[in-house]
Amino acid sequence: MSKVVGSPQTRLDIVAKVKGTRKYPQDFNMEGQLWAAVVWAAHPHAIVRRIDTSAAEALPGVVRIITSKDVPVNSYGINIPDQPVLVGEGGKVRWVGDRIAIVVAQDRRTAYKARDLVRVDYEPLPVVSDVFAAMQENAPRIHEDRPSNILHHIPIRKGNVEEGFAQADVIVEGEVSTPFVEHAYMQPEAGIGYIDEEGRVTVIASAQWPHDDLHQIARMLDLPEDKVREIVPAVGGAFGGREDMYIQHLLALCAFVMRRPVKMVWDREESISRTGKRHPFYFRYKVGATREGVLTAVQIRLISDAGAYASTSIPVLNNAASFAAGPYKYPHAHVDAYTVFTNNAVTMAMRGFGATQPPVMYERMLDQLAEALHMDPVELRMKNLLGDGDISITGNAMWGGVGIKETLRQAALAAGWRQEGEHWVKPDLGQPSAPHKKRGIGIACAYKNVGYSFGFDDKSEAEVILRLKMDGSIASATVKTAAVDVGQGVTTALAQIAAETLGIPVSRVRIALIDTSDVPNAGSSSASRHVYITGNAVYGACKAALEKRERILLEESGELNVSARYLYRGRSRRPTTPYDPETGQCNPHIAYSYGTEIALVEVDAETGETEVLKMWAAHDAGRVVNPAQYFGQVAGGVHMGVGYGLTEEYIQQDSRPRTRRFSEYFIPTVLDMPRELVSLAVEVEDPTGPFGAKGLGETPTLPTAAAIANAIHDATGVWLNRIPATSEMVWRAIHGKG
Amino acid sequence: MHTLMMNVNGSDVRVDIYPDETLAEVLRDRLGLIGTKVACGEGECGACTVLIDGVAVTSCITPAMKAHGRRVVTIEGLSEDKELHVIQQAFVDATASQCGYCTPGFIMATKALLDANPNPTRDEIMHGISGNLCRCTGYYQIVDAVALAAKRLAEEEQS
Amino acid sequence: MWQEYLFATSVEHALELLSRYEGRAQLIAGGTDLVLQSQRGECPATVMVDIIRIPGLNHIQEQDGHIVIGAQVTHAQIAASPLIREKAPILAMACAQVGGPQIRNAGTLVGNVINAQPAADGAVALFALDAELEVATPEGRRWEPIAHVYRGVGVCTINPCQEMVTAVRFRPLTGACGCNYQRLARRKALTLPTLVVAAVLEMTGDAIKWARIAIGPVAPTPYRAADAEAYLIGKKAEESVFAEAGQLAAAKARPRDSLIRGSGEYRTAMVGVLVRRAIAAAAQQCYGRR
Repeated sequence: MSKVVGSPQTRLDIVAKVKGTRKYPQDFNMEGQLWAAVVWAAHPHAIVRRIDTSAAEALPGVVRIITSKDVPVNSYGINIPDQPVLVGEGGKVRWVGDRIAIVVAQDRRTAYKARDLVRVDYEPLPVVSDVFAAMQENAPRIHEDRPSNILHHIPIRKGNVEEGFAQADVIVEGEVSTPFVEHAYMQPEAGIGYIDEEGRVTVIASAQWPHDDLHQIARMLDLPEDKVREIVPAVGGAFGGREDMYIQHLLALCAFVMRRPVKMVWDREESISRTGKRHPFYFRYKVGATREGVLTAVQIRLISDAGAYASTSIPVLNNAASFAAGPYKYPHAHVDAYTVFTNNAVTMAMRGFGATQPPVMYERMLDQLAEALHMDPVELRMKNLLGDGDISITGNAMWGGVGIKETLRQAALAAGWRQEGEHWVKPDLGQPSAPHKKRGIGIACAYKNVGYSFGFDDKSEAEVILRLKMDGSIASATVKTAAVDVGQGVTTALAQIAAETLGIPVSRVRIALIDTSDVPNAGSSSASRHVYITGNAVYGACKAALEKRERILLEESGELNVSARYLYRGRSRRPTTPYDPETGQCNPHIAYSYGTEIALVEVDAETGETEVLKMWAAHDAGRVVNPAQYFGQVAGGVHMGVGYGLTEEYIQQDSRPRTRRFSEYFIPTVLDMPRELVSLAVEVEDPTGPFGAKGLGETPTLPTAAAIANAIHDATGVWLNRIPATSEMVWRAIHGKG
Repeated sequence: MHTLMMNVNGSDVRVDIYPDETLAEVLRDRLGLIGTKVACGEGECGACTVLIDGVAVTSCITPAMKAHGRRVVTIEGLSEDKELHVIQQAFVDATASQCGYCTPGFIMATKALLDANPNPTRDEIMHGISGNLCRCTGYYQIVDAVALAAKRLAEEEQS
Repeated sequence: MWQEYLFATSVEHALELLSRYEGRAQLIAGGTDLVLQSQRGECPATVMVDIIRIPGLNHIQEQDGHIVIGAQVTHAQIAASPLIREKAPILAMACAQVGGPQIRNAGTLVGNVINAQPAADGAVALFALDAELEVATPEGRRWEPIAHVYRGVGVCTINPCQEMVTAVRFRPLTGACGCNYQRLARRKALTLPTLVVAAVLEMTGDAIKWARIAIGPVAPTPYRAADAEAYLIGKKAEESVFAEAGQLAAAKARPRDSLIRGSGEYRTAMVGVLVRRAIAAAAQQCYGRR
C-alpha cells in the first residue's frame, strides 16, 4: 500500500507561482545583454534574391545583423534537419515562419525598429496552400530534392476489407476534416543566449527536450555537445509547441556570434504566426457491421498537411494511422495515411500527436453506424471496444490493462444511461431552456500511446543523490532529471515517486534545476511519457541508491553521500516494432491510456450556437500518482477539446496567417467552458508503469470535440463535416446552406 | 524622456521613462517587478493585470504615464514579506495553478473582484475573472480558489 | 509610438494643446483602442493628451430631462450605475459586455464612440437611445446627434485639431418603455461581436407606440433599422409582428464577410433572428412591469 503515490500532494512550485517569483525565461536579465529581433519571411514561397541590411545597420543602437553566412551548419530539425536556420540570398523560403536574419541591438525597441528596415527582395513562387493541390502530379514542389510533395505514406492492411464489407449488413461512409490549431501557451517564446564561464554556448529558454535541443544546436554550430548547454528554468505551457526548437537555436547562434549575452522576447503575434501548429487532417471513411452491431470492416483514407517542413509529421502520421479506426475490434481494416508538404505553417506535435484528430472522425463514424442500426451508441461501442489481448488493426494484441470499456461504462452510468443486460438506454435529457433550443448528448471514446512508438528506443536516465545522516538515515534526496515540467506537474509526481521509493516524506525530496550540464537526458515532455518512462527511471535510480546505501552501511564506510544513475528503456518490458512497409502490421506502442467523454449540449436552432451544459470525463491513466493534480489535467484537456470543437481555428489564406492574436484566435474563456465537469478517475493499472501508472497528459483532450460534435448531431440531426462547430457552421448545416 | 512618479506596492518610486512605455514594461524592465507577466500584449488575456488605485487594468496596454501620481499594486505587493495573502493561499489549496504564467494576473483580478464584491456568487466570480485566460487548468479550480478566498476573507473579517 | 504624454487640466487646456500641435496630438481617455492602434502604426499622433484627470467629466447624472455621461466615464461605471440600470438599462447591458472586466475598467464610453466602429456595443446602444454628443470647441459647446459623428468605419467627424467630445446625453426611458440587448459572438467574453442588436420601445396597451432598433455591424456605421421601426408603430405586440420587424431589418442589412466573425449571409440571417428576439423581449419587459 503506497503512502505518497496516490495521495494528494501540493505542487512543489506553486507557492512561487502565486507569489509571482517563479522566473520564466523572459524574466532573466544579464549584465551587458544585447537584444535581438528576427526578420521573418515576408512570403510563404519565394526565392530570396537580395538582403539589404544597410538601413538597419545605420540605425543608432544596432550592433550586428546576423545572416546565414554566420551559421556554421545552416540546417536543423527535430526529426529531419530540413529547415534552414536563416535563409540567405539565393535560398528559398517555404513558409512565413522562415527566418532571414537576426538583428542585434542595444535594446528591444531598437532591435524591433531595425528589423523593419532590413530590405529583402523576393522572387515569389506559386504558393501551394492545399494538400489536394499539393498531391497533384504537376504541383509546385516545396522541397526540390524530393520526388513529390508527399512526405510519407503508410498503408495498413489487416485481413480482407472487401470480404469484411461483404459480411456487413449495414455500411456507412463519410468525410470529415479538422483544422490547424494553435498551442496558445501563455508564455511567449523568450530567453537569453550567452557564453558561460567555461566557454560553453548556453541558452536559457523554455523547451520540451533540452538534450535534443543541445544536439541540434551543437550540430548547427559545429561544436561538440559538451560545449553547448541549455537551462530550462520554468515553462509557461507547451502542449507540444516547444518540442521543436523555435527560439533556442537562435539564442545560441546570437551568443556564438556576439560572444555576449543576447536576449530575445517574442510578442504574441510572432508566437502565433511564426511557429508550428497541430496538423489538420482530411478523413474519408467507410465502415460496416452486422445487424447485431458487430464491426466487420473499416476503410479509411487520411491526409495531413505537413506544412513547409517535415518536423514530426511522420511520427504524427504513424500515430494517426494506428489510431485511425479507434479503440475497436476490426477483423478487416484498410488504411491509407499520407502527410503532404504545403506552404502552410509547419505542423508539429500538439497534445495528442495524431491521436486527437481521428476521434472526430471515428466517433462520428460509430454514431452514424449506431443510427443506421437503430442501436444505442453506448451499446454499439460496448460490443466492439478493445480489451486485454484483443488484436488491433496493426495486428498486435493489446497489452494488459485496457480500461476503455470501464471508462465508457462509468461515464455512461454517470451521465444517466441505464444498463439492462446487454442493452443500454439513453437518458431523458430534460426540457431545453427555451423553445428554440434543442438538447443532445454525445459520446466519444479515445485512446493514446504513452511513450514513443514504432521501435523508437524511448528512454530516460535519472540520477538520485542521497544525503545521509550520521545514523545512516536519509536526510534528503536530490533527483536529477531533465523531465521538463511544462505545467503538467511532472516534477511533483516524480518527487512523490522518489519519496515513496525511498521511504521519506516529499518535503525531503528536491528536484534539481534542469541544466543539461548537470542532469541526464530524460527525453521529451510529450507522449504523456514522463510519469511512465521517467517515473520508472527515477524508481530505478532510487532503488539503486538504496542498494548502495545498504552496502555503505554494511561496510561502515562512513560515506554520507550516495548517488546512483539509472537508465530506463521502454523496450525493456514493452518492445515495439515499426510498420511493415506493405501491411502496416506491427506492435506500435509501449503503453496506452484510455478515456471516454460525454457531452450534454443545448443548440440554439436559430443561431447555431452550442452551449455545453455538462461534461463527463472518465479517464484511465492507470494509477493516479497525484490526485490533487488529476482534475486539473482533465479540465485542461477538456478546455482544449472545447476549443477544438467549438471556438478555435487557425486560419490561413494562401498560406498567410489571418488569426495572429488572442483577439482573433479564440481559446475558451471561463464563460465558454461546460457549466459542470464531472471527472471520474478509472484506475486500471499498467503492470509495467511505476506503481501501475500510465500517462494522463493527453488523453483528456482526445474525446472532447468528438463528444460535442456527436451531441450536436443528437440535438439537431445534422452531421458536421468539420470542426470547430461555429454557430455559423451549425446554422448552415441545420438550414441546408452548405 | 518623461519622469514618472508613482507609489508601487507601498513605496514611492520615481523613474525616467520613454513617453510611450507601457506600465507593464516599466514594472518589469525598469523596476524589476517580474511577477507581472506579459502574454498577449493587447489587453486580451489579463496576465498583466495590476491594480491602479484599486482598479484592475491590463498593464500591457496602459501607458505608464497613466500611473503618474497613482497607487499601483502588483502581485509582489500582495504577499507581505514571506506570508501569502489569503487569495494566494487559496490558489495553492485549490490547485489553481499549473504552468503558473497566468496566475499572478488571475490573483490580481481576484483581489479587485473581492474588494468590490466580498461575497460573490459563482456566476459573479466567473464574470469577474472573464478577462483572464488560462490554457492549463480549464478554470474550474480557479473559480474554486476565488470562492475559497472569499469564504476565508469573510471568516477573517468576523474574527 | 508617441513622443510626448501630456495631461490636460481642463477642456480648454485640451483644446489648446490640440490646436498647438496642429494635428500631431491625439486625445486619450482609457487608451484601450488607441494604444493598440499606435503600436500597430495605425495612429500617427506623436503627442498624447490624456483627458482622464480633467475635473468635471466623470459624472453620470440626470439633468434637464436628459441623462448625461461625462467623457471619462468607463464601461464598468456605466454597467454598475444604479441610474443607468434604472433609466437606460439598454446601455448598462451593452457596456457590461465589452471585452472583459479590465478593459471595461479602463475604456470609456465616449472613447469607444469616437473610435467609430460599427459594432461597438456602447455606441450601438446609444444609437437606440437617440443619443447626442457634446462637442467642445474653442468657440463653445454644441450637441450633435450621434449619427452625425460617424463618417465611416473608424472615421468620425470630430475635428482632431479643434474639437473634443466632453459628454453624451439621451432622454431616460420611462416606465412604459422596454429594452433588450442581443449579442452574438464567437466566444462569451473578450470578443468583438458577430452581431449586436439594441432595441428600445414604448407601449400603450397592447400596441407598440414607437421602437428604435440599432444594429451593428451591418453597415459602415451603427445602423438604425428605420423600415422596421416605422412598421412597428401602432402594431400589436405579438410573434408575427416581431418576426416581420426582423425581416424588414434584415432586408436592408449589408454586413460584410468576416473571415473571423462570420459571413455576410449568416449575419444577415441573424439580423432577422436577433431583432425579432430583441423586440419580443423588450415588449415582454413592458408587460412585466405592469
